[in-house]
Amino acid sequence: MTQPIDTSIYAAVTEAIRSEAKRILSEGQVSAIVGYAVARRKGSAQPIVISDAADVSKLIFTPACVNNLSVYLTKAKKEIPKNGKIGIVVKGCDLKALVGLMGESQLKREDLFLIGVPCAGVLGSVLQPDTELTSDTIASKCRECGERLPQGCDFVPSVTLPATPEQEQIYAAEIARLEALTPAERWAYWKEQFSKCIKCYACRQVCPFCFCEQCLCDRNKPQMVETTPRPAGNFAWHVIRAMHLAGRCAGCAECERVCPMDIPLNLLNRKMAKELKELYDYEAGFEVNDKGPLASYDDKDDQSFIK
Amino acid sequence: MQKFISQQNLNTLLDKLIAEGKRVVAPRMNAGTVLYEPLTAAAELVTDQLPRRSGKEAFFPLCEDIMSYRKEGQQVTLTDIDPARFPETVLVGVRPCDAAAIPVLDAVFSWDYKDEFFLERRRKTTIVGLACTQADDACFCSAVGLSPGEPKGADLFLTPVEGGGYSCETHSDKGEALINNHKDLFAETNGEKALPLAQPQTEAFDLQKVKAWLDEHFENPAWDSIATRCVGCGACAFVCPACHCFDIVDEGTEKSGKRRKNWDACGFWKFTHHASGHNPRDQQPKRYRNRIMHKFKYYDDKFGQTLCTGCGRCIRLCPVGIDIAGIIQEIEKQVKVKVE
Repeated sequence: MTQPIDTSIYAAVTEAIRSEAKRILSEGQVSAIVGYAVARRKGSAQPIVISDAADVSKLIFTPACVNNLSVYLTKAKKEIPKNGKIGIVVKGCDLKALVGLMGESQLKREDLFLIGVPCAGVLGSVLQPDTELTSDTIASKCRECGERLPQGCDFVPSVTLPATPEQEQIYAAEIARLEALTPAERWAYWKEQFSKCIKCYACRQVCPFCFCEQCLCDRNKPQMVETTPRPAGNFAWHVIRAMHLAGRCAGCAECERVCPMDIPLNLLNRKMAKELKELYDYEAGFEVNDKGPLASYDDKDDQSFIK
Repeated sequence: MQKFISQQNLNTLLDKLIAEGKRVVAPRMNAGTVLYEPLTAAAELVTDQLPRRSGKEAFFPLCEDIMSYRKEGQQVTLTDIDPARFPETVLVGVRPCDAAAIPVLDAVFSWDYKDEFFLERRRKTTIVGLACTQADDACFCSAVGLSPGEPKGADLFLTPVEGGGYSCETHSDKGEALINNHKDLFAETNGEKALPLAQPQTEAFDLQKVKAWLDEHFENPAWDSIATRCVGCGACAFVCPACHCFDIVDEGTEKSGKRRKNWDACGFWKFTHHASGHNPRDQQPKRYRNRIMHKFKYYDDKFGQTLCTGCGRCIRLCPVGIDIAGIIQEIEKQVKVKVE
């Protein structure tokens, strides 16, 4: 049954973001702020970088503010100047990515001014941004979100988060369904999904953790992965990406949202996250860890794979 | 020639074509996504959604082999792909924005180098267009001189009519032949009333003025504000009905392999990356500028028309909400400001 999601706090959140942005820009605390702005299509939003206090009225927060803006702070996005302290608007899920980037020595906490957003959820798809946020249209990641209030930010609007209805956990259910299949059936499922891949690399380009200066998949001397959008190369690409993100992925699900071919990429990442939880009791959170679970060794680590 | 065909007879037509061994490519559902793909039965046809990718791949596939090689001892054998093997194709249910892009591609692929792969597929394909009855606020065909009822590019154009079925209008010999070869499935028109067509809300662009601004503003701070947020993926180019850049790659082992032609996109950093290491488009706004320049200036300079048919796919699918129609509107405003 479709249930409405109460997003009435977003107007107050928008106001609070604007006034704080104005304060920190005019006081010179930050050189720029990465946030969300209204776009042309009804109900739509887009990332924006502002450096002038006169532009703060452009900033918004709505259910269409789906992007994980932390991607803009990585070294892969050279166009965003990284001079001085930068402000950034973050939802809880986005903040986990920033925390991960700090753990990987990509960002320093003192170079950031974190504007945390109390979040009741965002849309799963903005193909049609003028869509009401309900239990049907909410992003799958938001159904499983336990971090509606980002922690450790420099500023969080003081609003009371509304109670959210109990919702079906789509990823958990889908992973359970796939795990129950035989390997041949699972192979058939992913083969069909990956057959749609067009190698546009939108999944890679929006990923905060895909900051490699040169992606292995872009190399041609020698070629490491078949670049052609055909079954072998598509499979290699998505499996390599899932493995490279294991223990790093913060679960923002941007790869899945932006896939123009609707490939459920976050299922791979959620499955990896589940394995890491079981094996190392690790999950992405708000604590900066210098070493991720797959970048460190402990003699208590699971060794059952050694036969 | 004007005729009428019922939905049932259209399905019968498609099933007959499939039975005759023709490749019938039309919008169908593939793992939850509507794409132009070969049908195995007419029942798979989806007519109420714009496919996620365009119809260009019926002629210009995402990936195709153009040659293969084999080395045995000192003997190297190169084998060409014989375009004669491409099957006779009927491309059905093509939206006006997708159909109108096909003549745009024709110009490029038959300009100085004749691309035999594209042209042979094109020669063997009959295009059945379908008028649009639905538009969203990303649609802007009417802003680039087209419309939801525009038959440009179609051999046979279908318009849905009240009470079901389609009025059919032929626009080429291929379209006439399709009707003449299956006369029993088409009826004479009998005053059927077309369903109300879609009404895209974006106002018509003054493309000449836009081009005049682009002619003068290769270097302009506007490009930074437009595209600093571009993340450099190829989604916009790959879903575009008119984008046609490709890359040639050799894939295989030293013993054997294929030379392949794959879609490429000017948004990729690698697109202009020289072997020397130099990249003339070293920042994302320069890459995105090329997308606008190619669509609204370079292509026009060379072929006298615009390389955009207003399907809106790039707007809906851009990961960061870059809106080509909004950008053109902003450029128009700049032009007006300058004039005033």
